[in-house]
Amino acid sequence: MSQLDPISLDPIALDLPVAAPGRGRHRRVRVPGWLVLLLRNPKSCTGLAMVGFVVLIALIAPLISVDHPNDFNILATRQAPSWNHLFGTTDQGSDIFSQVVLGARRSLLLGAAAGALATALAAILGITAGYVGGVFDDIVVFLTNVFLTIPAIPLLIVASGYLKSRGTGTMVLVIALVLWAFEARILRAQALSLKNRDFVLAAKAAGEPTSRIVFGELVPNMISRIAAAFVLVFYIALLTDAGLEFLGLGDQSVTSWGVTMYWAQTNSTVLQGEWWPFFFPGAALAFTVLGLVLVLAGIDEVSNPRLRTERAGRRRLFGRLVGGRAVARPETTS
Amino acid sequence: MPWLARRLLFYVFAIWVALTINFLLPRMMPGDPIAGLLAHLNPSQLAANPGLVQTYQALLGGGDNSIWQDYVTYLGRIVHFDFGLSTSNYPTPVSEVIGRTLPYSIFLVGVAFVLAFVLGTAIGMLAAWRRGGAVDNVMVPTFMALGAFPAFFTALLALYFLGLKAEWFPIQHAYETGLSPGFNWTFLSSAFRHSQLPILVVVATFTGGWVLNMRTVMINTIGEDYVTMAHAKGLPDRRVMTRYAGRNAILPPLNGFAPLFASAVGGLAFVEYIFSYPGAGYTLQQAVLGNDYPLAQALLVVLSLCVIVANLIMDLLNFVLDPRLRTN
Repeated sequence: MSQLDPISLDPIALDLPVAAPGRGRHRRVRVPGWLVLLLRNPKSCTGLAMVGFVVLIALIAPLISVDHPNDFNILATRQAPSWNHLFGTTDQGSDIFSQVVLGARRSLLLGAAAGALATALAAILGITAGYVGGVFDDIVVFLTNVFLTIPAIPLLIVASGYLKSRGTGTMVLVIALVLWAFEARILRAQALSLKNRDFVLAAKAAGEPTSRIVFGELVPNMISRIAAAFVLVFYIALLTDAGLEFLGLGDQSVTSWGVTMYWAQTNSTVLQGEWWPFFFPGAALAFTVLGLVLVLAGIDEVSNPRLRTERAGRRRLFGRLVGGRAVARPETTS
Repeated sequence: MPWLARRLLFYVFAIWVALTINFLLPRMMPGDPIAGLLAHLNPSQLAANPGLVQTYQALLGGGDNSIWQDYVTYLGRIVHFDFGLSTSNYPTPVSEVIGRTLPYSIFLVGVAFVLAFVLGTAIGMLAAWRRGGAVDNVMVPTFMALGAFPAFFTALLALYFLGLKAEWFPIQHAYETGLSPGFNWTFLSSAFRHSQLPILVVVATFTGGWVLNMRTVMINTIGEDYVTMAHAKGLPDRRVMTRYAGRNAILPPLNGFAPLFASAVGGLAFVEYIFSYPGAGYTLQQAVLGNDYPLAQALLVVLSLCVIVANLIMDLLNFVLDPRLRTN
């Protein structure tokens, strides 16, 4: 019904439910439509492959790493990458390859947990605020803007300075509490645009309670945007956590990319010309984040067709290069 | 001018919330920050500064006063910018430490941010104008990737390859050892040389955000009737791009300024730490590691204020540039 609604031509409305006109044919194959769309998009396909690779490494990490990745070994300090130590060793003689592959677990788990928590907060607060409006909306908008204005990293640095124990759970909580505002604003805006649609009005007329409308009507219709929000907060949380560890302010007892880089920086290995202690964990982090960013870009393109670089666009450019000159600039004759 | 008034009111409230969060943080956290702080001072140092413990208690809690009394004292201290003495720089007052370090950070982030904005907007405009062209296919992914890179990884790479190996830039500190800060040519040129690599890193990290913002808005602008009209009039391509489409596309990305600037100020901590650049970010990290809570608290207040003031300037600029804001 709502597919035929002229309003659904605006990019936000094209988001998900409308994107399934061909579903009738594929009804038997139970591949979800959104996954097909994402895999067809080159950006998100590459991104998913990159993230999938990191997940795979994290899963098999114990099989390919040494037993105690943080053990000291005075006989094997500061070794450049070799067949014995694929990524070299630290200045305490620990195997960096093992630290990097095991570190993938920590980064993915923390990013996923903090991302999920922050997205849940953002979705509940943002969507409810957009739908309910009034004073509640004003308060949420105000809080969101304040959290976007206060610089998150300094706030996290100071907050983790007061913490005596910085376990994984605590870090997840602290990071999620600071990062939720990033997506709350976007989700609220979208809830606002959906709020006067027929299906929402119908649910309201049927006397459904607000919580039911928010979770039963609005959330399912915004699921692609919520997924994008999760990916965004996921990678920001991952970066933030590694960054805090790098500054010496995270959970320094774990094996993680940030901690390996912290020791590289603290012992000034870079200044002594050793590139491997910082390069491999940093590259792993950059690789993961890049994958997530590509997934995000893919989701954006799938849900906003205007952003797509169409084949037609390429053809037009090609035409311009080959023979379109006379058409493109008639003014040269005057 | 209700729009401007609303923004001003928001900033006043935002400052109040930032101050209150800063007040509540040490009180909500488990543990006893004041004990950790006082452990850094010996009895004779405490005896030499009567009233210091009271100042710390107002900032961090742990005294006999009620939380409301503390809050009033705290706000009073903030207004007078009296955060007591910095324990890691004893006996220098916190305000003096900040006065010494903040100019470096403001210079660094200010210059880098303007450069990133100009560069990013230009690239975003060109990329949208020639969709699928060279700029769109090479520059946009490059800057997006650089923007996704963790700032501290980019900084370490730059330090290693451009500083240590290629020796193009000095890699540590804000000026050569032996010089003392002052307004003379030797110091300023040395400081400028030392700021180049950190600025480069911040520019590399934050250009991508502007590219993406500008490209998205510009793509939508190109579809507008007045752009088609300008083409139809036979105006030069370049002129349509800059004066018609670009000019109208440049305002909405400015709304992305607040979160980008806030994260740039946050990124300072990493960049300054890696280059041992004595700005506010590096000082903040050192203060927190050394349990110098008054200094950390004051820096958080100052950095929040910087972001809020930058946003205010941006709003005023928007107000001047966008006539729609003035009529409504």
